[in-house]
Amino acid sequence: MKKKKRFGLLTKQSIAGWVWLTPATVLIAIMSFYPMVQAFITSLKTGSSANMQWAEPILYNYTRMFKDQTFMRSVGNTFFYLIIQVPIMLVLAMLLAQLLNNKDLKFKGVFRTCVFLPCAMSLVSYSVIFKSLFATEGLINTVLVNLGILQTGYNFLGNSGSAKIVIIIALIWRWTGYNMVFFLAGLQTIEYSVYEAAKIDGANSWKTFWGITVPLLKPTIVMTAIMSINGTLQLFDESVNLTNGGPAFSTITMSHYIYNNAFGTGVANFGYASAMSFFIFILVAILSMIQMKVGDTRD
Amino acid sequence: MNRKAVAVLLSGAMICSLGASFTASAEESDSHTLTVYAWDASFNIPALEAAALDYQTNVDPDFVLDIVEQSGSSDIETLITNVASAGESAYDQLPDIVLFQDHYFEQYLTNYPDVWQNVDDADIVWDNFAEEKLSFSTIDGVHYGVPVDGGTCIAAYRVDLLEEAGYTIDDLTGITWSEFIDIGEAVYNATGKYLLCFNSDGNDLIYIMLQEEGVSQFQDGEPYISENETLVEVVNLIVEMVQRNVLSLSNSWDDYTNTQIQGDQVAGVINGNWIIPTIQNVSENAGLWEITSLPTLSGEEGYASNGGSSLYITANCQDVDLAKDFLAYTFGGGSYEETGTSITYDNALTNGGVVTTYAPAGESDVYSQGVAYWNDTAIYQQIAAMTTEVTPVEQSAYHYTVREYLGAAIVNILNGSDTESELASAEEQIRFAMGL
Repeated sequence: MKKKKRFGLLTKQSIAGWVWLTPATVLIAIMSFYPMVQAFITSLKTGSSANMQWAEPILYNYTRMFKDQTFMRSVGNTFFYLIIQVPIMLVLAMLLAQLLNNKDLKFKGVFRTCVFLPCAMSLVSYSVIFKSLFATEGLINTVLVNLGILQTGYNFLGNSGSAKIVIIIALIWRWTGYNMVFFLAGLQTIEYSVYEAAKIDGANSWKTFWGITVPLLKPTIVMTAIMSINGTLQLFDESVNLTNGGPAFSTITMSHYIYNNAFGTGVANFGYASAMSFFIFILVAILSMIQMKVGDTRD
Repeated sequence: MNRKAVAVLLSGAMICSLGASFTASAEESDSHTLTVYAWDASFNIPALEAAALDYQTNVDPDFVLDIVEQSGSSDIETLITNVASAGESAYDQLPDIVLFQDHYFEQYLTNYPDVWQNVDDADIVWDNFAEEKLSFSTIDGVHYGVPVDGGTCIAAYRVDLLEEAGYTIDDLTGITWSEFIDIGEAVYNATGKYLLCFNSDGNDLIYIMLQEEGVSQFQDGEPYISENETLVEVVNLIVEMVQRNVLSLSNSWDDYTNTQIQGDQVAGVINGNWIIPTIQNVSENAGLWEITSLPTLSGEEGYASNGGSSLYITANCQDVDLAKDFLAYTFGGGSYEETGTSITYDNALTNGGVVTTYAPAGESDVYSQGVAYWNDTAIYQQIAAMTTEVTPVEQSAYHYTVREYLGAAIVNILNGSDTESELASAEEQIRFAMGL
C-alpha cells in the first residue's frame, strides 16, 4: 500500500524554495542586518569604545553633527562633487556608449575594453597616480610649463578650488567606463528599426540621440544615477589618498570625516561615527526614493 | 574520487594548520621571550634590536625579543582601539610590549585604562631622563612608559647654500625669527631654495615655535588659542615666512619627506631629530649639512621637542617581571649603570640614529664622534646637549586635533582670510571636538 502524500506538489515546491532561500537570508541577516542594528544602537551611545554609555539625551550624537562645522563642511563638499560630477559622467558615458554601439565601428572590443579598463584599477592606486600627475612637479605641470601656459608649477592639490576639480576629474576618469557598460547593455535592447524609421524621417544623429536613445534608456539612466549618487555620497578613497581632505578641510567627504572620527585621528568615537553613518544612510534612502519616483515608467 | 581525495587532503591540511597555530600560541608562556610591536625599520627597529642584544649579552643568553614590524604607528593605535573595544576576551591579541606615540598615549590611557600596565616599580632612575620626555608617559605621577627616542628638534641647514647667499651657520644660531626670515629671503633669492619646509596638513611648526617660548596651546586643559598672544605672533610669523618665500608648505607628509627634503628643494629643515635619516637619504649632499639650535622670538637659542615614542607594557603580558626587567635594563639605563656602556643606546645610535633622552648615555664615545654626512660635526652630542634644555609645556590628549585645525587656519589665512577670525573659528571647532 502506498503512503498518502503528505504535501501537495505546490507546497513541496514552495518549501524547496524556502530551503534554497534560507542560507542566503540567514547570511544577509547575520552579516548585514545584525551589524546595522548594532550600529544604530552604538549611534545612541557615547564615551570610550571600551565602556560605552547611553547618550544623554539619547539623540545627542544626532544633534551634535548639525553643530559640527567640519561635518557640515564635508556634507557640502560631498554634494558639490555629486552635483557637478554625476551629470557630467552620465552624459559622457551615454555618448561613449552611443559611439561604441555604432554598427560600422571596427575594433569595437578594443575600444570598449579601453574605456572600461580604468574601472578595473584599485581605488587607492589610481588615486596615488592622479596625485603624482597633479603634483607641483608632476606630469601635468611639466607639460603646462613646457608649453608656456604656466610660468611655474601650479599647486593643484594645495588650492581648494583646483583640488576639488582634480577629484572630480579623477572620479570621471574612474567611473565613466563603468556606467558606459550599463548604457551599452541598454542600447542593445533598442530595436535598430526604430533608428531606421528616424533616419527615414530625416532626423540627424543628434536629434535621434535625444529623441530616441535617451527616452528608451530611461530605466538604465535611473539605475546608473542611483548607483552614482549612492557611490558619491559614500566617497572615501579619493578624499583620503588624493588630498587627505585638505587643504583646510576643503575636499573632505562625509565618509572620510566619519573614518577620522572612528580610526583616523586619536581615540575612536564610534558612537558619533555611527550616527553620522546613519545620516548618510538616510540621505541615500531619500535620494533613491526621489529617483525611483521620478524614473517610474508606469503611468 | 580524485576530487574527494583532494577535499580530504585540503581539510586535513586545514585542521593541521589550526592545530599548529594553537601549539604556537601555547608556547608564549616560556619566560625568555617577549613580543613587541613597533614601526620604522630604519629607526625604531634597530633600537629594539640593540636592546635585545644588550639583554642577551649581559643578562639572559636565551632571551628572544620577537619584533613584529608594523607599517606605521597608526597600526598600533588601531590595534589598541579594536582590542579594547572588543573587551577583555580579545586582549590575547596584544603583544607583550608596544611602541606608542607620545602625543597619543594619554588619550589612549584615559579611554582604555585596562589595556596598559604601569612600570612604576621598575628598577629605573627616572631622573636620568629628560623631564619633558617623561611628561608624556607619566600620567598622574605614575610611570607607564620607558622612553626610546627623544624628539629634540634640530635646525638643519645646507652650509653650501647659506654660503652662496653670504651666510654661515653661526649667523643662524641664536637669532630671532625676523632675522631668520630676512636670511631665508636672501637664500631663496640667491639659490631658489626654501630655508624651511613643512607639510600643511599636519603643521608642527606652531607647536615647535611655541614650545621654545615655554608656551602651550592649552591652558588648564582647555584650548588656549585666540587669547594666546604668543600663538598669534607665531601664526603671523609663519604666514610672513610663506609670503616671503622662506617657508614652503607641501600638501602632505609624503610630499614633505619625498619631494621637499629628498627632492632636494630646501636649504633647511626644522623638526624632531628623527628627521635625520630622511635628510641623509640624499647621498649627494653628504658633508653639506650642519645642525644648530632654533631661532626664537627673543633671539636666544631655542630648544623644542616634537614627536617620539616610548615602550609600554600591555595587559596581555604574561611575564610582567621579565618585561619590566628587560625595559629597565636596556632603555631604562640598567646596563649603563652596571657595565659603564649601554649596548642599547650605542647601537641604537649607530644603526638607527636614535638619540636617547637618557642623559648618561650621551657621554658615550659614540655620541662624540663626528658624523661624515654632517660635515664631520658631532651632531649627536649637540642633540644630547639640546635635549636637556627643552622645557616641558602643558600637554593634552587633543594635541593632533589642535594641530589639524591650526594648520587649516594657516592655509585659510594664506588664502586671504583674517587672522583673528580664523583663529577664533579654529578655537571654536577645537572646543567642539573636545566636547567643551
